[in-house]
Formats: sequence, C-alpha cells, structure tokens
Amino acid sequence: MMPIEIGTVLYAGAIGLVVIGIAGIVLSYHLFRIILALVIAEAGANLLLVLSGFRWDAIAPIITGGAAARTMVDPVPQAMVLTSIVIGVGIQALALSLTLRAYQSYKTLDIRELQRRMSADLAGESGTPLPQSLEEPVGGRPLPAAEGDGR
Amino acid sequence: MSTIVLTVVLPLLAAFVVPVLCRVSPLLGRLLGPLTLAYAILLTLQVWLGMEGKPFSIALGGFQPPLGINFYVDRLSLLFTFLTLVTSLLLWPWRNETEPRQYALTLLLAASACGLALSGDLFNIYVFYELISVASFGLAAATRSGAAFAASLRYLILSGLGSVLALCGIAIVYLQTGSLNLAQLSQLAPEALNTPLGMSAFALILLGVGVKGELFPVNSWVPEVYAAASSRVSGLLAGLVSKLAVLVIVRLLVLLFQQESALHLMLILGLLGAISGELAAWRAKDMNRMLAFSSIGQLGVIFIAFSIPGETGLFAGLALSLHHLLVKPGLFLLAERWRGSLAGLRGAGLASPVAGGLFVLLALSLVGMPPLPGFWAKFLLFTGLAAQPSVIYQVALGVVLLSIVIEANYLFRVVMNLFQPAEDNSAAVITSSHGWLNLGTTFLLSVLLIAGMLFMGPLGTWLEGVAMQAADPVLYFDTVFSVSAIH
Repeated sequence: MMPIEIGTVLYAGAIGLVVIGIAGIVLSYHLFRIILALVIAEAGANLLLVLSGFRWDAIAPIITGGAAARTMVDPVPQAMVLTSIVIGVGIQALALSLTLRAYQSYKTLDIRELQRRMSADLAGESGTPLPQSLEEPVGGRPLPAAEGDGR
Repeated sequence: MSTIVLTVVLPLLAAFVVPVLCRVSPLLGRLLGPLTLAYAILLTLQVWLGMEGKPFSIALGGFQPPLGINFYVDRLSLLFTFLTLVTSLLLWPWRNETEPRQYALTLLLAASACGLALSGDLFNIYVFYELISVASFGLAAATRSGAAFAASLRYLILSGLGSVLALCGIAIVYLQTGSLNLAQLSQLAPEALNTPLGMSAFALILLGVGVKGELFPVNSWVPEVYAAASSRVSGLLAGLVSKLAVLVIVRLLVLLFQQESALHLMLILGLLGAISGELAAWRAKDMNRMLAFSSIGQLGVIFIAFSIPGETGLFAGLALSLHHLLVKPGLFLLAERWRGSLAGLRGAGLASPVAGGLFVLLALSLVGMPPLPGFWAKFLLFTGLAAQPSVIYQVALGVVLLSIVIEANYLFRVVMNLFQPAEDNSAAVITSSHGWLNLGTTFLLSVLLIAGMLFMGPLGTWLEGVAMQAADPVLYFDTVFSVSAIH
C-alpha cells in the first residue's frame, strides 16, 4: 500500500469539514443544528488557512534571543486564523441571539415551520395571498390527508 | 493625504461613542452620527481635490506594503468612499429616537464600507466585509418583529456560509502565491493563479462575496429581508452594500483573475440572476417584494456588464452601478407608505401626486427611457456587449433586452395602477401621506438624477477616466510599490 502523507490527510480533513458543514446547513431543518454545521464549516476553513502556511521542517515563529536559528513556519496565516476565529465566534453569538429572538416570536426552531410562519406574517402584513408552495399540488392531495397533516 | 484613513476611523469611533453619548445627552447623541459623516465627506472631497487624479497608497502603521497592510486610494475607491458616506447620511435613521443602537450600526456600516472600498489587502477586505455583514444583520433585525428576526437569521446563515467559502478561496490564493497584498498578487497572479485551482479560488470568493451582491444562487435572503426591514435599511442594503460587494469582485477580476473563464462564470451567473430576478418581480404581488426581486435582476445586469473584458466593461458597469445606487433607495423610500399589495395601490398616485410623479420618474430611468441617465448606462452596456465576438455575449445581449421588456411591463403596471381612479367600493385606498423626510430624500435623489441627465457629457468623460484608471493593474502595482508611497 502506498504511504499516505500526513499533509494530504490534513487537507482532506479541512475540505471534508467544510463539506460536512455545508451538507449540514443544507440538509438539516433544526436551527441549532444548522448553526453547529456553520461552526464546523468555519473550523474547516480555518484549518485550510493554517495549512496554507505550514511547513513540517520548521519551528514556531517566535524569535527568542538572537536571530532565528532555523526556518520558521509562516506566521501570517496564523495571525489571520486568530482573526477569523474571533469573527466566527462573534457571528455565532449573533446567530444564537437571533435564534433566541425568533424562538420567542414563533415558538419553533424548525426552519421550515419558521419560514412558513414568517411568510404568513409578511403576507398578512401586506395583504397579499400566501406565496404558493412549489412542493404542494395546486388541487390538494388526491389521497385523504393523514392525521395531524393539517397544513 | 493620509487623512483619508479618518473616513474609516471616525465613523468607527463614533459608532461606539453614540450609545454612551445618547445616555448622557440625547440631542448630542442624535447629532453625532450625521456630523461625523458630514465631516468625513468633507475630508474625502479634500483628498479628492488634493490628489489631482493620481492614485496613491498609504502604508498603515508605517509597515511597507508586501508585509504591512495598505490602503489604495484611486479615483474608484475614493468615489465609493464618497458614495458610501453620502448614502449613509441620506438614509440616516432620523426617525427613531429611542434606538441609539441603530445609529451605531449605521455608522459601523459606513466605516466598514469605506474600509472595504479603500483596502488593498485581501484579508483586510475579508475583515471589513464581515464587519459590514454584522452591521447589516443588526439593521435588518432592527424592526424587531418576529418576521424580521427570522429573515435576518436566514440571511445570517447564508452569509456565514458565504464567508466560509470566501475564506477557503483566500486560503487557496495564499497557498498558491504566499501573499495577500493585492498589488503583489497582481504580479504573481498571471503565473500562479491562472490554473484550475486559481479558478476555483475565484469561484469560491465570487460565491462568498456574491451573497451581499445578490448574485444568483446565493440571493434567497433578499426578498424576505427587504420585505421585513425598514425602507431605509432596504435602500442601504440594496443600493450601497451590494455595490461594495461588486466592487470587491471587480478589483479581484482586474488584478488577480484575468483569465477568460472567470469572466464567463460571472457572466453566466449574472444572466441567471437577471432573468430569474425579473421574472420573479413580474410575478410579485406586493411592492417590497417586487422591488427586492427587481434589484436582484438589476444586480444581475451589473454583473453582466462587469464581465465584459477591458475598460468598456468597467465603464458600463460603473455607470449601471451608480444609476442603480441613485434610483433604488428612492423607490424603496417611496415604498414605505405604499408597502403592501400592489392591487391596493389603486389611486394612490392621485392621492399624493408628488410621490406618484417621483415614482414615475425613477421607474422610467430604471427601465432606460432615452433622455434619463438609465438609458445611457444601458446604452454603454449594449455597445459593450455587441462589440464582443464571442457567442455568449450575444446571448447575454438578448437576455438583457428581454429582462428590460419584463421590467418595463411590471413597472408600468404599477404606474398604471397608481394613477387609476379608485373604485368606489374599495375604501382601502391609501390615504396616509409620505413623510416629508422620505419624500424630501427621494426628491433629492431625483434632482441628482436630473442633474446627471443634464451634465451627461462631462459626467461620462469623467467616469470613463475613473474606469481607465481602475482597469490598469500595472498602475496599481507601481503606485503601491513606488518610493513616493506615503506613510
């Protein structure tokens, strides 16, 4: 078997995290899961950024005493990652507080339900009919609706 | 010359002072924001007159460009700084006396937008872009209704996804070149980024920044946010923030990604945006949604214009952007009293003829009626598109024409409705008048529009100069790395 380099694994990991995050955002319906998926995707992007300046044969970019004895890791991406982590945390906190507000208004964290209630609110405010759902047949369902499926 | 940095610093400082000052003295708190913005406008004009058309670069903190972060000041970035400050001042939330937070957020938006326009460093652009995002989330949720919270939450999630994509793109750029300074990148890019990997970096950044620019696949937040937010915020987001996102993409296209496939990608996304936005606007039943979808369509047309190679594209795109920046906020301000279903607007124009007249003027310019500036902007776009030999640009020409037809159809339908006498049985005619503030702002925008029409000749020449200067990557490099760089 061919030996796999550790760099390849890390890159695959970073891109994998981003993909998992995007999949989570697209596929899940629970708001909290979506926010967690966003966190995972951000972690992946940050890892990719760190990797972009990393070298295996180098030391940490800290000058102690005299001149640098050996080659150092590129410090720029590390500084940038710190910034982007801080930005990410800020956005996540904002997302959570907005989630809290949305929950207080609509008492639900299901993104479909939330969107339905929001459209209904907006339509009610402007006095227009609800936008037709593309998933629902116009003429109603041909089969008798199941219990609790009252839309 | 280095006073231009104050256009970022002062509003930022004021943003954090305002909430405190509002507790001490409400009057001072209310005045601080507009005064700061007005002073920043003055500074911008001063720099404008001082630079005599020559671009210059400011090394922040005295660290020279390849290592330090620099501000690049040319006519394009100064123009956008000026427009940012003026638009934020025009759309200042005067009315809400209870909420110092909204003052702070508007100032934050203005500061970060100026920084975005001036910055010459890719990561710095990302940071300012995130600042704009945070400010716009807050502004979108400022009406504090359940719908506004839900809409801005969805906006936040999409925008967060966009910034992850943009960050990945930036990481790829750094991986390939080892630099984030735009000037240095412009030297390295022809070799390092003219690869499939470089192209993927562009696609990621385009999608990421495109969230604010209402680019086609990532614009689902637009109708909800504009329907739920106040008119001033909608005008600010649709008019200003989207243009700044476009500015970032244009800078990257000029300096980093000169390959044809990058332009084609943007052209295709612009086409899809233009056609989908206009069709959705045609189907829309209420005013704010119609304006939101039509703004997606307009932005699609702007993306099409910027995807024409060379300075023709820049010139046409700039003209369209300026025109849209002038017209869209005006329409949103008029829509404040006319929000709600389009059918309910019957006779509203007769009830308030001034507002009706302004609406007609802005709508005509938006469609592109000959003497108005909108016509000249679209004229530039058509000549630019027609001059391209490639088939895809001819298709784009057809699509843009089609989108104008659709646009004319729905806008004139609204105008017809406005000026039809109301039926007797529909007592729900909108009688509330527009506030003098909204009407005055819209009037000012219309006056600017008419002035633009009267001075179209010199304005066109001047704008072409701006585009020529911006389209020159060699000039950018020389300016940043010249010995005369100010620090």
